[in-house]
Amino acid sequence: MNFQAPTMKISDLACNTGEWLRGTGPESDIVISSRIRLARNVARFPFLSRANLKQKKEVEAVVRDRIRESDIAPDLCYINLSEISSIDRLFLVERHLISREHAVGESERGVAFGKTEAISLMVNEEDHLRIQVIHSGFELREAWKTIDEVDNKLEKKLSYAYNSRFGYLTACPTNVGTGMRASVMLHLPALGMTHHIEKVFNAVMKLGLVVRGLYGEGTQVSGDLYQISNQFTLGKSELEIIEIIESVIPRITTYERMARKAIVAESREQLEDRVWRSYGMLKVARLISSEEIMHLLSQVRMGVNLGIINDIEMKTLNELFILTLPGHLQKLEGRELDSTQRNVIRADYVRKRLGK
Amino acid sequence: MKCESCNKKHATVHLTEIVGNTKKEKHLCEECAQSVNTHLKKIPSPTEILTSLINQVAPEINEMSKITCPVCGLSYLEFRSNGRLGCPMDYTIFRKGLIPLLEKMHSGTQHVGKVPSRAGKELIKKNELMQLRNELNKAVEKEDYEKAAELRDKIYELSGANDENQ
Repeated sequence: MNFQAPTMKISDLACNTGEWLRGTGPESDIVISSRIRLARNVARFPFLSRANLKQKKEVEAVVRDRIRESDIAPDLCYINLSEISSIDRLFLVERHLISREHAVGESERGVAFGKTEAISLMVNEEDHLRIQVIHSGFELREAWKTIDEVDNKLEKKLSYAYNSRFGYLTACPTNVGTGMRASVMLHLPALGMTHHIEKVFNAVMKLGLVVRGLYGEGTQVSGDLYQISNQFTLGKSELEIIEIIESVIPRITTYERMARKAIVAESREQLEDRVWRSYGMLKVARLISSEEIMHLLSQVRMGVNLGIINDIEMKTLNELFILTLPGHLQKLEGRELDSTQRNVIRADYVRKRLGK
Repeated sequence: MKCESCNKKHATVHLTEIVGNTKKEKHLCEECAQSVNTHLKKIPSPTEILTSLINQVAPEINEMSKITCPVCGLSYLEFRSNGRLGCPMDYTIFRKGLIPLLEKMHSGTQHVGKVPSRAGKELIKKNELMQLRNELNKAVEKEDYEKAAELRDKIYELSGANDENQ
């Protein structure tokens, strides 16, 4: 099977988003998405930090060809990241199709993904291969099923670096073993407003989980969006790790719902005012910074969940979190924009999307 | 300033001695200082201090510092400074140094997850057994003896009976 032509695809992508943002699935009022990634390396090749250019090219070619032959998805396209512009790379980062590290890497590297953007395969990121599956809502187990199948298909054609003591061998020992990072993206505005979020973090960390911002390691929390993922990858099986996360999430969502109820009970008018003001701003403002929009969207999203606002779809709101990011705006406009220009275009775009 | 003892060389060692309430200062050249104050000889060099510090904090580093991977050429010290390994073989070559690190990072140092089918049926069986033993321990901890008995039977069945004392 052949890859789809990539150049056409990347601009097609700019006007919509991947399926994982459609706002469906269990607990999707609070759980935006469930994501799993597996780190894999090809046996008999050095990891990327010790590989020379020839070896990197060889690894890229081998992994890319095996992905193409493996019948993973019918509409997979492959993009060589060194052949596209930095705006295009930023765009792919914002869509969670590649990591920030992958975008700025130097060696021969690429990414394969399908139309729904549920599956993405990063070649020559920190490891030779990083497989990722994202589902909408709280569906870690389903995401695991999908990624396990993809991994099995690839494993028939690729000989992975593996040993019985340490499992799948990775460039960084923090990923060794299962090579799996499972994470759930949560929208927790009420816990933020009531300052209970710290308590959640402390409880979560005791279970060996970590809390991160929207784009993973080292990123800022914005729009009250948090990612909770496993810290350790060795010593427990994939399903045991998933079970730990699965046991924690319902407790956090219940806590968030309780906090929302408490705010409604104690200060309904203030809450409604905040939500409507945010909605109003999105509909009338002429300049909106990327930081401000995350905050406004977060308030409106909570307003929709609480039934305060009824005329926006969850899907539209979820998408706006991504479509108003700098890379997406520049892709939509088809040119480079400085931050003031972006703030104008961002406000224009949101007004159009929310206008009746 | 000239050395107070020999009056010839430049004073480079400045000693302050406090006895009771009086403070005495001595300015000596290195040679005189060594002969006057024998304990000066015992002051360890910065490298010695560093080595002893490393020995206290991460005892494996000293021992491992001489090891370099013959496959990818990465030395253990390079790995410790940038945190990335160079090739799959490093897990074997640096094993002794890696295990204490992995203990800190993870919930164990034995892989119990997925096994690639290429790795063979024996390995899959071995891992399955390990998994069942873990579950058995948990069941016993929780005093769920019904589950424990069930798991024990499964372990017997898989392992082919008698060698179940490990």
